[in-house]
Amino acid sequence: MKATGYLGAVLGTALVTIVLAPFHTGINSTTVALIFLLVVLLVALFRGSGPALVASVLGMLSFNFFFLPPLYTFSIAHAQNWVALTVFFTTAVAVGQLSARAKRRAEEAEMAKQELERLYSELRDAFERASEAEALRRSEKLKSALLDAVTHDLRTPLASVKASITTLLDEARGSKDAVVLDAESRLDMMEVIDQESDRLNRFIGDLIELARIEAGELQLRPRWGAVDEIISTALTRAEPLTAQHKIEVEIEKDLPLVRVDNRAVSEVVYSLIDNAAKYSRVNTTIRVTASRGDDEMVYVAVEDMGKGVPAELRGRVFDKFFRAMRDGDVTTCAPSGTGMGLAIAKGIVEAHGGRIWIEPRRDGPGTRICFTLPIGDEEQV
Amino acid sequence: MNDTARILVVDDEAQLTRVLRTGLKSRGYDVRTAPDGATALETFDEWQPDLVITDLAMPVMDGLELCRQLRAVSEVPIIVLSAKGEEKTKIEALDLGADDFVTKPFGIDELFARVRAALRRASSSVPAQATTVLEVGVFRADLESRHVTVEGREIHLTPKEFDLLTYFMRNAGKVLTHRTLLKAIWGGNYVDQNEYLRVFVGQLRKKVEPEGAKPRYILTEPWVGYRFEPGNPSL
Repeated sequence: MKATGYLGAVLGTALVTIVLAPFHTGINSTTVALIFLLVVLLVALFRGSGPALVASVLGMLSFNFFFLPPLYTFSIAHAQNWVALTVFFTTAVAVGQLSARAKRRAEEAEMAKQELERLYSELRDAFERASEAEALRRSEKLKSALLDAVTHDLRTPLASVKASITTLLDEARGSKDAVVLDAESRLDMMEVIDQESDRLNRFIGDLIELARIEAGELQLRPRWGAVDEIISTALTRAEPLTAQHKIEVEIEKDLPLVRVDNRAVSEVVYSLIDNAAKYSRVNTTIRVTASRGDDEMVYVAVEDMGKGVPAELRGRVFDKFFRAMRDGDVTTCAPSGTGMGLAIAKGIVEAHGGRIWIEPRRDGPGTRICFTLPIGDEEQV
Repeated sequence: MNDTARILVVDDEAQLTRVLRTGLKSRGYDVRTAPDGATALETFDEWQPDLVITDLAMPVMDGLELCRQLRAVSEVPIIVLSAKGEEKTKIEALDLGADDFVTKPFGIDELFARVRAALRRASSSVPAQATTVLEVGVFRADLESRHVTVEGREIHLTPKEFDLLTYFMRNAGKVLTHRTLLKAIWGGNYVDQNEYLRVFVGQLRKKVEPEGAKPRYILTEPWVGYRFEPGNPSL
């Protein structure tokens, strides 16, 4: 690289000399000097300061030898030409050094810029990797928290089943100091097994439904239906749960039909009634209402006269596995739910383009959960 | 075994207390149940049960708080029902003085065995305190001369090993957490020095266990601590 720089300086100067020498009488010496300066400048820009210096010296010698009289000698006749030669040489050296330095600076600046860009992209990659890892870690943490909740809920009924079945087995095997059960106790154990298996099955069913909603695979089969029919289906299904509560139903007359998956929406109403029954004392009232809003929506609400949900927990009741009352009201002996009912309800309502929210009951303590269903567009039929 | 021993079962799972009540009653125990710690304490005050079986996660007052409050007023044996995933809470409960634990889901036999052991321990541990000689199972320790025999064979222990063994003997059958043992033998500053304990238990085992690879007396409760089973002198 270095050698070619010097070679360039020698060749450049030689070329100019060869081209211009035959015309030395026709062109004045200032033009020749300027052309040599141009060579120095070019060499400086492309080859650096060393070659530029060589080009300056060669240029000066060639200028003197071929163009300044007396020609073909290194002696100089006129004092004026001494001045010209000195000015040429000084200018050539200065131009060469300055332009080479400027070039070096530019190169250094360019390198610094590239280095900066490299650092920046490395840093950005590192940040990206770190935030990905953080997101992954968070989602892993969430997953493991959910897994804990799920396994706890799966194991709880299993614990009762296992204890019952081993008691029955113990007796059936008739070992030395085996348990002796009377008919009633035996029935008791079998009932526990029956009920707890149902509970497990319900829990697993809910898990699957929730997974479907989360994966966006909820299969809705919308068809035109009457809100009062949807509500009454839910109420009939919920009868065993609400036997010890008073039920009040208030449905506005002439409600428009809604185009929804009737079974799914009825499931939502059932969940809300189930919740209301669980979290309020016996002999209190559960109210189910439906009315038309100003916004082309039908409003359905279920309210209970329980303790209500504290304001700070209201945002979380629709989170899966969250049970606001798990650590609260023990006056109800009903088995706690799966913590998925409201999460599923939310999924179903939102899949229909409605929304669901929780608020305190308007006249007295208690909870009111309300959801909306858009009134179907006739043209979509 | 006292046939009419009173057992208080505490769990917020109504179905489980229902099963345990039936099972324990059929074995001749007198059983009461409580859905949470607060109710359990009331029942305890009024009824003075011989044994408490309690769940850990409960509303109003959880199993840990119940253990703490019971230990403040009584030495009643406590068996903790824990689920996988509650290891930390289980160890805390044992640190607070619970005697034993059963992991859910459990077979009723396992629970019965723990109940029998806890009741037996409670009825036999009373006279050991005033005397200068501890005799538990095949172990005999003279607290003054510091002589120890196992199945009649004399063994020589360093002072710390002697302290550890006598602590085990005083708490035979109980699950003792690492923390509890370290605190009892080395003091409160050493509660996290599990390796001390490992070394000393290892040395003690070499001296008392007939088969090093299969400990018979000083049993490891994985991740929790140790349980001392003093053996049966008649065997």
